Amino acid sequence: MFGYVRPSAERLSEEEQKRFTAAYCGLCHTLKRRYGLAARMILNYDLAFLAILLDEGGTCHSCEKRCMVHPIRKRPCAQPSAALETAADYSVILTWWQLRDGVADHGFWGGLKYRAASLLLRRAYRKARAAQPVFDESTKRHLNALAALEKARCESIDRPADTFAALLAGAAEGVEDPIRRRVLQQMFYHLGRWIYLTDAADDLKKDWKSGSYNPLIPRFALKEGKLTQENQQELAATMDRSVEMMAAAFELLDFGDWAGIIRSVVYEGLYAVGNAVLNGTFRKRPKREERNPTRKAGP
Amino acid sequence: MRDPYQVLGVSSTATDEEIKKAYRNLARKYHPDNYHDNPLADLAQERMKEINEAYEAVQNQRKGKTAGGAYGGTSAYSAYGGSTGYGGYTNTGATRFQRVRQAINEGDLNMADELLNASSDRGAEWHYLKGVICYRRGWMDEAKRYYQAALQMEPNNVEYVRAWQLVNGGNTYRPDGYDTVHTGGCDSGCSRFCLAWLCCNMLGGGGYYFWCC
Repeated sequence: MFGYVRPSAERLSEEEQKRFTAAYCGLCHTLKRRYGLAARMILNYDLAFLAILLDEGGTCHSCEKRCMVHPIRKRPCAQPSAALETAADYSVILTWWQLRDGVADHGFWGGLKYRAASLLLRRAYRKARAAQPVFDESTKRHLNALAALEKARCESIDRPADTFAALLAGAAEGVEDPIRRRVLQQMFYHLGRWIYLTDAADDLKKDWKSGSYNPLIPRFALKEGKLTQENQQELAATMDRSVEMMAAAFELLDFGDWAGIIRSVVYEGLYAVGNAVLNGTFRKRPKREERNPTRKAGP
Repeated sequence: MRDPYQVLGVSSTATDEEIKKAYRNLARKYHPDNYHDNPLADLAQERMKEINEAYEAVQNQRKGKTAGGAYGGTSAYSAYGGSTGYGGYTNTGATRFQRVRQAINEGDLNMADELLNASSDRGAEWHYLKGVICYRRGWMDEAKRYYQAALQMEPNNVEYVRAWQLVNGGNTYRPDGYDTVHTGGCDSGCSRFCLAWLCCNMLGGGGYYFWCC
């Protein structure tokens, strides 16, 4: 996954900021405990959000911990929970299959870094597969379907986005309560769709240069490696529909302590990130955050 | 039944005005328009029913009546049902498009799609129904293009116009304090967002200015 999902920092109370950090650090510690040091490198905001959505208790129990990245000041860190463990398993599986996809997509030299990374993650993946065989199977199946669509240079943006969205919706499969499962499936589906489209927009320049498949190129019949103003608006509109679908689903479930964070994501954070990606400022964000560390959303 | 005050999210000591405001906000949130053609519409409908009953119960309590009387449906927000269906055609002599609508109503999108693909009539209704199937699946880009084609053939069809409006921004609900923000472009939504952002920033002592347009 890619790290696009962020709450709007200015929307969160101090307590909620702490809770978001706790979820992020909690997932990191869980990854280390279950899968060792190398698995920690796969952590990102999207996976932390997955852990938040999967938490059924709705209560955030956190303590303060130091770690390698934050050796001096202790950070809030969520206590071990079933949701964090499941999210850690899913994170390893998702990252593993993306690495394998990277190996398949690139030649010998280009694929080296993916091969090296999968080597580091291999043991973790085997353990995660044993813990979550159903999710592993469905992820593999969907990524294969996605690769086939990419190979055929599919002209629809909805079809490949649907495959990725269905993959992520699989993360709700293990939820027992049927209503909760339906709502989460819908949220994950549209989160996946939004992430896929955002990533396509983000990678457009790179894909155009390398000649790789990008669904936006055939969809908008691009003659240059960038979207026109009109294309951008059309893409933005279809991305917004998915965010609205997530928000509508969010309102149907009680997320307890996490509600404020999720609300800021589905009513503002995703729009802000989408804007930044479309106008090309997303990759410049870390610099701005460095200049003003108090505005940072997470660790 | 849950405590009606809890359902409305207010304390039992809230004023009538506060209760009305809370009810209106909830009714706006779960309004059928926000869940039209949404696979979770039934859950929103249940929630809306619960809210209507709670509001009715609170009002009756406060007027000194006993709660539990049949809900009269006097609320302005009881518009669920009817508008969300696609016509319940069950007779065996139904046309192909009627059978497609029936399959959509039953949630059998694959069946509906197969029926459409086998049809040689590719008029406005065919495109519209294709769009509905896409929309229900979450394929918003294709849905929009099918609706557009249907509208080009029959620009005055009310059903198609409504679908077109929906695919161009159906859910208008935002929680208090959240402005209507959009992705991309430099339309009014964007500048409003920037302005709100600027205000928050100044209040929060962010100390720098940011314009996107």
